Amino acid sequence: MAQIFPKWADEVPQRLLLGLIIFMTALVAGIWYYFSPEYKAVGYAPEQPVPYSHQLHAGKLDIDCQYCHTTVFESQFATVPPTQTCMNCHAQIATDSPKLAKVRESWETGEPIEWIRVHNLPDYAYFDHAAHVNVGVGCESCHGRIDKMEVVYQAEPLSMSWCLDCHRNPEKYVRPVDEVTTMGYKAANQLELGRKLVAKNNINPPTYCQTCHY
Amino acid sequence: MSEETLKPNYWKSLGQLAKNEEYEKFLHREFPENGSELTDDVSRRSFLKVMGASIALAGFAACRRPVQKILPYTKMPEEVLPGNPLEYATAFPFMDALEGITVENHVGRPVKIEGNRLHPGSGGKTNIFGQASILNLYDPDRSKFVRRDGQRSTVEDFRKFCADYFSDTGRRIAFVAEANSSPTYNRLEDQIEEKFPNAQWITYEPFGENNALEGTNIAFGQRLRTINWFDKAKVIVSFDDDFLNPASTKNSVENTRQFADGRRVMATEEAMSRFYSIESTYTLTGSNADNRLRMKTSDIEQFLYALAAELSNSVSGLSAFSGYSNQFSDHEWIPVLTEELLDNRGDSIVTVGRMHNPDLHAVVSAINKALGNAGNTVTYNEAPHLSDRNNQIRFSELVDELNNGNIDAVVFVGTNPVFTAPADINLEGALSNAQQVIHLSDYYDETSSEANWHVNRAHFLEAWGDGFSYTGIRSIVQPQVRPLYDGVSDIEFLNMILTGEQGNAYDLVQETWRSFYPNNFTTQWEQTLHDGLAGEEIFPEVSVSISGNFNARANEFTAKKESSEGIELVIRPDDTIFDGRFANNAWLQELPKPMTKITWDNVALMSKKTADALGVEAAGLGKAEVEVVSITVDGTTVKIPAWVQPGHADDSITITVGYGHEGMGRVADRAGVNTYPLRTTEHMLYATDISVENTGTLYEIACTQDHHSVEGRSILRHATLQEYRENPDFSSYFEAYGADLPGEAYAEEQGADSPLSIFDAMNEDEYPDYEPQWGMAIDLNTCVGCGTCTLACQAENNIPVIGKREVSRGREMHWIRTDRYYDGDIADPIALHQPVPCMHCELAPCEQVCPVAATTHSEDGINQMTYNRCIGTRYCENNCPYKVRRFNFFNYSEEFLTDGDDPEIIQMAMNPNVTVRFRGVMEKCTYCVQRVNRAKINRDIETDGRTMKPVDGSVHTACQQACPADAIYFGDISDPDSEISRVKQNNRNYLMLEELNTRPRTSYLAELRNPNPKLA
Repeated sequence: MAQIFPKWADEVPQRLLLGLIIFMTALVAGIWYYFSPEYKAVGYAPEQPVPYSHQLHAGKLDIDCQYCHTTVFESQFATVPPTQTCMNCHAQIATDSPKLAKVRESWETGEPIEWIRVHNLPDYAYFDHAAHVNVGVGCESCHGRIDKMEVVYQAEPLSMSWCLDCHRNPEKYVRPVDEVTTMGYKAANQLELGRKLVAKNNINPPTYCQTCHY
Repeated sequence: MSEETLKPNYWKSLGQLAKNEEYEKFLHREFPENGSELTDDVSRRSFLKVMGASIALAGFAACRRPVQKILPYTKMPEEVLPGNPLEYATAFPFMDALEGITVENHVGRPVKIEGNRLHPGSGGKTNIFGQASILNLYDPDRSKFVRRDGQRSTVEDFRKFCADYFSDTGRRIAFVAEANSSPTYNRLEDQIEEKFPNAQWITYEPFGENNALEGTNIAFGQRLRTINWFDKAKVIVSFDDDFLNPASTKNSVENTRQFADGRRVMATEEAMSRFYSIESTYTLTGSNADNRLRMKTSDIEQFLYALAAELSNSVSGLSAFSGYSNQFSDHEWIPVLTEELLDNRGDSIVTVGRMHNPDLHAVVSAINKALGNAGNTVTYNEAPHLSDRNNQIRFSELVDELNNGNIDAVVFVGTNPVFTAPADINLEGALSNAQQVIHLSDYYDETSSEANWHVNRAHFLEAWGDGFSYTGIRSIVQPQVRPLYDGVSDIEFLNMILTGEQGNAYDLVQETWRSFYPNNFTTQWEQTLHDGLAGEEIFPEVSVSISGNFNARANEFTAKKESSEGIELVIRPDDTIFDGRFANNAWLQELPKPMTKITWDNVALMSKKTADALGVEAAGLGKAEVEVVSITVDGTTVKIPAWVQPGHADDSITITVGYGHEGMGRVADRAGVNTYPLRTTEHMLYATDISVENTGTLYEIACTQDHHSVEGRSILRHATLQEYRENPDFSSYFEAYGADLPGEAYAEEQGADSPLSIFDAMNEDEYPDYEPQWGMAIDLNTCVGCGTCTLACQAENNIPVIGKREVSRGREMHWIRTDRYYDGDIADPIALHQPVPCMHCELAPCEQVCPVAATTHSEDGINQMTYNRCIGTRYCENNCPYKVRRFNFFNYSEEFLTDGDDPEIIQMAMNPNVTVRFRGVMEKCTYCVQRVNRAKINRDIETDGRTMKPVDGSVHTACQQACPADAIYFGDISDPDSEISRVKQNNRNYLMLEELNTRPRTSYLAELRNPNPKLA
């Protein structure tokens, strides 16, 4: 009697098993990576109602972050500036630019400009700007090189493990408070400076849940 | 530990006392019946629609990126820092008394009400109405537009109508208005009376102050406001006066603060006032009495006269009563009270309930004058807005005039008299005789539907106004937000009738205040706005003397000797929804009533003996389903569930009004029974000639008294002042149980400070020294049991309302509950209150059993609940010996968003600094971690990173901040000099369930009572 299965059929179960292992590993790895904030959130760059360029204002013109984001040292929000802040300059400069039509309209009607939020934490997580910038966490540490962004995008994952990385090792990231808004700040020896600053400013970032979740 | 070994043997409910099956079953089930079903879909959804709220899109953040928009100002208002709420001073008008408050305002959105710390009346404190009034602002059932004959109209149309109709100054107009102390309002009132000579003005309040004013008129010949200064009194005698209850007094915050001050004992040598209460039903105030005499309301008058007669032998000024005697003259209390009052001349207060007839008020005023209390502990002050006319009588005359065709137009300002007027006054029928009926109100209610014009009123947080506190401190009512529905304020409404122009309330108020501040107006106005009050000057005190007519009148009182045979019916305002004006406020509906712990319903309260006589069995056994009784007064019958109230006077039934609305709103319409039909002009307080029958039908009551029970363990400790002085450590574990703390001896052997545990706790040295360590203490001696803490917590922490059906299953969500215990015989027990929030145990049993570590300990000693980790096993709730954890069985907060008609409005009421919880998540008291964190961050920034420990007294939990009795202490226990550390050193300090070795951070100061040994 002829054999029902050819010889290579012996290897089928082994190959299937191997294939399954590879597939499952790829699946887990895929979800691990592609479902994570690193992949899904980083790079989010929605189109804004007004094509405001941080590259031009913060980069080329070198306007300090606080000129617009006035409350960052005092409040949990850095504050998106009121139309009035735009008009401080644009009442004189580029007064008929079509890009600024919405700004002028807002100024005339009193209706706010509807900006799209880029950096969005879940509702159960509370972040306080003042608590961070006052101890020397630089703007760019979380927001990236804003001075190089034509359109603002999310530069960092803003995930919990990313937050904890700094809360556990603040010396890797902190800088002198007067350098907070500096873009592209680089310490000669970050760890040495960081340790000094952590000791000097009593930086003890808490890592228990209710630091952020309540 | 068996229950029998505990002394005294506290009990919460009749079911517990009778050890009935239903109670045992409730107690021993892990979760109440139907813990996983939801059958009553319709009502639940409707409640949710009205109450729950949340921010859209929570929970799906992982699947789709929600697009959120940021809308900045176009011009940033000065001082606004988004993220840092501003606090503005204003005042909450309750009848004609303002309560000084401040409002937490998040970029133009008022979110939380607190007492104004600068205001001597409120002293930074509030009551339940003040706390809950903010929910009325965001109530989607508020009237949103003007209606003409029921059809939608506009404010402009109404203005045109006014300009036209009221151009004829000969119109015969009757104004029926809420009591209002506003000088601007009263100025417009005077101008209206001047312009329309045929107009009449009637101030109408269903539970107003009129009888008290008439009483002083009889005694002193002047309508004066009686102000009791409870902190100055050594002896207080109350005849049915529920003076701590906001439903029964306009000055509850100040009364509670002062009463608590007189009771605060932090060392054995400190003095404590003695409070006697004579009352029929067990009131909130009566539950704080040192000696309480239960007595039928209809007998109280005679009892008072017997006391006056006895006093007349020793003091002058009561000669009308000399030689008088009645059936109470031999009562054992009469000589005791007489002795106490005579020993404390000038240091005592005699007071009588607001709704008792003027005769009693007159006699009480005369007694206070005769004892020398007048001018010391009791003052009689002249309030300019209190009219010299007897409004109650004129209101009855109005109907006659309407029926005779003598009135062209009736203007109702804010009141709802079709619902609240005495039943024998047929207002509804008489209104058809007027050409125009105009009604300004918050809701399109029973009166609105009878009116030709309904005008929607602006909430007090939306409109400019002014007025006086109860004692006479003048304030400006400052709006916090533009009217959400273009409502019209009282002042603008009157101005429209007067001038045909809406005008601007701001200008009208300023115009009035220019006369107060003739010089430097702007500076003084701004200072008043900022502070929330114009100085501490109160109404001028009048030096009173007994009027010549008093004796003759007193002889009239004493001549009538009413017998009080049979059962009486007492009608009172409701403890939580007052006369019905707060009926659509779901926070107040779901707040357990201070004594009965009933929510969402009104009941007929009676003693066990009366219930037995009526054959009302289920209520007497403490079951959830109770018999409905029918009560008939003057041919009108109302059916209402019966409820046994321990300590209620026999042969007396107490009902409350305000329930059973029709067409007011979705919350109000669903709850309770309208009992106003039993209240007639003759029987404003009580009726004696009534008949009561048991209908035999059963009705389910949602009562929380047996929920979250702690199995009879000794969690409450109290003693008399005498016992405390003899044994200052009476509240220790050893004294309470007569045994050493379990594990203490072994711990000593092992050289440990406290009993050892198999669980890992953070040791003291593991708590970092840069963190504060939070702790709380609750002084049961000053706590009066009012429930303000529960509401303040609800407002601060976005706690949802869940509706009657869910409450009856034991799922109420309040993070701090107030347990009420009885001690003694069911006929006449004493009552004790104990607020219970999370204990924040250092060795928390909940933390040991959570499989996902969603509840853990923070480095500043808070037992944290992390919502985003919680998977809803409820093991923690089951393992919590204090029963303080609350579970979101349904999506209480958010579900309504899918079909609510106005969800954004309710979202606006939410505190943006607290997460709105989702279905399947456990929650509980957080020690207001959002406030704690804020204070730590601010301190860190202020000190340039030197410390993050807030200054002692700079951080308050919501319950602590609101508590009018100042019974809650909170602070850093690692600082030995902090207030909380000192309080915890007090010898009355004890830990709840200390024997379980959970090491709670919340502790209690045992309660003291100061009864007269002669009445033991």
